[in-house]
Amino acid sequence: MTEVTLSNVVKNYGAHRAVHGIDLDIQHGEFVVLVGPSGCGKSTTLRMIAGLEAISGGDVSIGGRIVNDLPPRERNISMVFQNYALYPHMTVRENLGFSLAIKKKAPEEIIAAVDEAAAILGLDELMDRKPAELSGGQRQRVAMGRAIVRHPDVFLFDEPLSNLDAKLRTQMRVEIKKLHQKVGNTIIYVTHDQVEAMTLADRIVLMQDGHIVQVGTPLELFDKPVNTFVATFIGSPPMNLIDGIVRGDNAVELHAPSSGGLHGGLTIPLPSTARGRVSDGQAIKFGFRADNLMPMGHAVEEGGERTELDLPVTLTEPLGTETLLFTEVAGTEVQAKMYNPRPVRPGETLKFQLMLDKCHIFDAATSNAIRG
Amino acid sequence: MDRNLTHRNRRRVLKAVHFVALFLTMAIICIPGLWIVLNSFRPTVEIMAKPPVWTPSFTLDHYRAMFGGAGEGGVPVFSYFRNSMIVSVTSTVIAILIGMSGGYAFARYRFKGKGAYFVGLMLFRAVPGVALSLPLFIVFARVGIIDTHFGLILAYVAMNVPFTVWLTDGFFRQIPKELHEAAEIDGCTRWQAFWKVEFPVARSGVASAAIFAFLTSWNEFALASQLTRSVGSKTMPVGLLDFTAEFTINWGGMCALAVLMIIPALILTFLVQKHLIAGLTFGGVKG
Amino acid sequence: MPRRRFPEWLVLLLPAFIVIAAVVLIPLIFSLYSSFTPYKLTRPSTLWRWVGTYNYEKILTDAKFWAAFGRTVLFLTIALNLELILGLGIALMVNKVTWGQRTLRTILMFPMMFSPILVGFQFKFIFNDNIGLVNNVLQSLGSNTALPWLVDGKLAMFSILFAEIWMSTSVFAILILAGLFAMPRDPLEAAKVDGCTAWQTFRHITLPFLMPFIFIAMTIRSLDVARAYDIVQIMTGGGPARRTELLWTLMSRTGYVDARMGLANAMGYVSIILSILFTIYFFRKLSAARAELGMAG
Repeated sequence: MTEVTLSNVVKNYGAHRAVHGIDLDIQHGEFVVLVGPSGCGKSTTLRMIAGLEAISGGDVSIGGRIVNDLPPRERNISMVFQNYALYPHMTVRENLGFSLAIKKKAPEEIIAAVDEAAAILGLDELMDRKPAELSGGQRQRVAMGRAIVRHPDVFLFDEPLSNLDAKLRTQMRVEIKKLHQKVGNTIIYVTHDQVEAMTLADRIVLMQDGHIVQVGTPLELFDKPVNTFVATFIGSPPMNLIDGIVRGDNAVELHAPSSGGLHGGLTIPLPSTARGRVSDGQAIKFGFRADNLMPMGHAVEEGGERTELDLPVTLTEPLGTETLLFTEVAGTEVQAKMYNPRPVRPGETLKFQLMLDKCHIFDAATSNAIRG
Repeated sequence: MDRNLTHRNRRRVLKAVHFVALFLTMAIICIPGLWIVLNSFRPTVEIMAKPPVWTPSFTLDHYRAMFGGAGEGGVPVFSYFRNSMIVSVTSTVIAILIGMSGGYAFARYRFKGKGAYFVGLMLFRAVPGVALSLPLFIVFARVGIIDTHFGLILAYVAMNVPFTVWLTDGFFRQIPKELHEAAEIDGCTRWQAFWKVEFPVARSGVASAAIFAFLTSWNEFALASQLTRSVGSKTMPVGLLDFTAEFTINWGGMCALAVLMIIPALILTFLVQKHLIAGLTFGGVKG
Repeated sequence: MPRRRFPEWLVLLLPAFIVIAAVVLIPLIFSLYSSFTPYKLTRPSTLWRWVGTYNYEKILTDAKFWAAFGRTVLFLTIALNLELILGLGIALMVNKVTWGQRTLRTILMFPMMFSPILVGFQFKFIFNDNIGLVNNVLQSLGSNTALPWLVDGKLAMFSILFAEIWMSTSVFAILILAGLFAMPRDPLEAAKVDGCTAWQTFRHITLPFLMPFIFIAMTIRSLDVARAYDIVQIMTGGGPARRTELLWTLMSRTGYVDARMGLANAMGYVSIILSILFTIYFFRKLSAARAELGMAG
């Protein structure tokens, strides 16, 4: 059983603190994705687990064993790097077998392990080439092969797909997921791309400025973001956020960010889930996803709380099965979605319906979610 | 149409000028060297002839005299060649080992005052050989290593270390540090990671740094002329002086020795020219 | 964590520091000391007599020293500038060539592998007034007089400069050529489309990009400007009548011929400071140019 546990892990670079006391439990066989904007400390955290960065405080344990001061080679981990870090002077075969050769394993054992990994990743044809003769996707595969050859306790992936083009990225994403299902090891995966996080993870760890903001399954983060940062980071397009002020106990007045709520905004009903949790005059951020603001007349399921709005469409982005509509609510640009596309002229005003029960209310001062 | 024509004519003229200028440049670069080679094969009478003889005849006299041993105006070429080889090869090997370790430190570690250390190291290279040769002569004489291979090797190691540090620093920095990290994760110690991954990748670069160091030692004169005295330790650049007497110079013999000096340098330089340029520019440009 | 006594980088740098301290630093300290004594090789006891700044005062009030010093600075200024301009020109020409570029580049490296002393002899031969190539050619072309290349002061200076430039221009040419190869094409093409003339493109796009490469070449050159000593020593020995005397030849004569080590070491220090100033100057230029292009890191 190889759980990975971080308790109060800290990383300082001189006076600068890059990681602020992180606690995290990763179960055996779990696929955990660390995600966040660049500079949030996710790569540093991964490198501390790998032993490539010394930890400044706290404990890292792998499989119940504290590994704080162990060099990488004694942690039984493997890692796939962003730029693959294949050994340029070795063939694919030598690259794959390197870790076993270092351990002085018997030649036949190395051959067997290398062939097995090559078969899993479809590398058989490339075994005698040098990394320079491989395409980006092939290098990526060799890097993964090098990682699985030695059956490590934990796989670490450091932004492995960011050097690939969009199409290949989607394809490799699927392969990584298949690989995980096949070998079933614990995987810790770092990325800045929320789509990768959503599609790959059993559990997402969203980080910002060296802190963990939220940990949960992809759907938990999507449906129940703890604050506006999570709300805008997860999901594409990002959640629409509009400044608002609670009026009475069942209404919200939405207004443009600059107006300060002094002159007339747009008043809509307060979603029932938030009633009683906010007070009259409280400044909030009102959030909803594009999927929850749709033109009327769609075949949408009935029921739930709704409100209707007349909004001018400024721009459309047809995406095939759906069309993104750019519009304005109370002086703030928001995006809406339209399934069953029909031509919409810019400037045309449509009647939209907003699904109030899917909306999110955040406290304007703390950015934290207000939820039942 | 007119303007097209003038542009076309101007391009033609420029092309001709370009060709002529390039040809002249290459001629100026090549002729002095060729002149030396040519004269090493001409009899002394012809070299000294007045008016000059333009159709050269061919003789191996100078080479025969040179290799003929110390008698009859001959110069102990074999000894000089051997001294040069011993001194250059040994000092190069040592300088490369020391320089590689230093260059690696600059390329891979972060520490306070790195830039200052680097410039400081380079400044020692800037000390003129003549200026150094005076005190070095006295110190070596005191220690008793004057006129020995060891003394000259020591001096050349010190002279070459700053530059090998510069070059190897550049080459190691071209290697992404992830390679080292990947090797460590694959189970290497730092030492293994260096010798099994980083060194093989940087090998050609290190080789060119070595050749640069070799050439510096091979060609050095200012220090060697003071630190060596006898046939047992004099190197070829110092040996060249053997062909000069009070008022005369044995030009043919000197040219022959010069050719012998140039050939190894020529071969080595051609072998590594590409890496050499890459190393110099990378180390410098990428700071 | 186990505490290490030395950080690893220091351990790695230590051999370099030790060997340089032993072979360069200690002799330099010794020579600094001896520059305050009237030390003569022939009379070792003079090493223990302290004369303060007497040697420095002596050289600083010596017209011969100042003449050599001024000539050295002038020599370096002319040589380095010409080498740069010629190197730049050669690099641009070779860069324009579409065929046989590798061969040309190889030829360019030719002078780099020559020992400076060999260059000295080579040009002493070529500029020889009696049997040298230059005069032979001139006479065959109809000139009656043999030009005294190494005997006349001005001509000798010219000959030495020629030898020095022949030897060192390729450093500039090669490195600038490397810069030209590394140059991205887009800005050049953008400038062309924007209507720049060839000169404007060169001045505003190419040259700024080449600056770091130029300064690398300058730095490398400034590390061993004193190589010129070998050439001058062989070609003229500082003569005729001290007309080509440079700091280094003056120093070596004072030290080895006159055996006045203390005085020579004082001169040595002046020359060391000169070299170091050159080097530091170009190192600073180099990092400035690097920062400007955003290549620092």
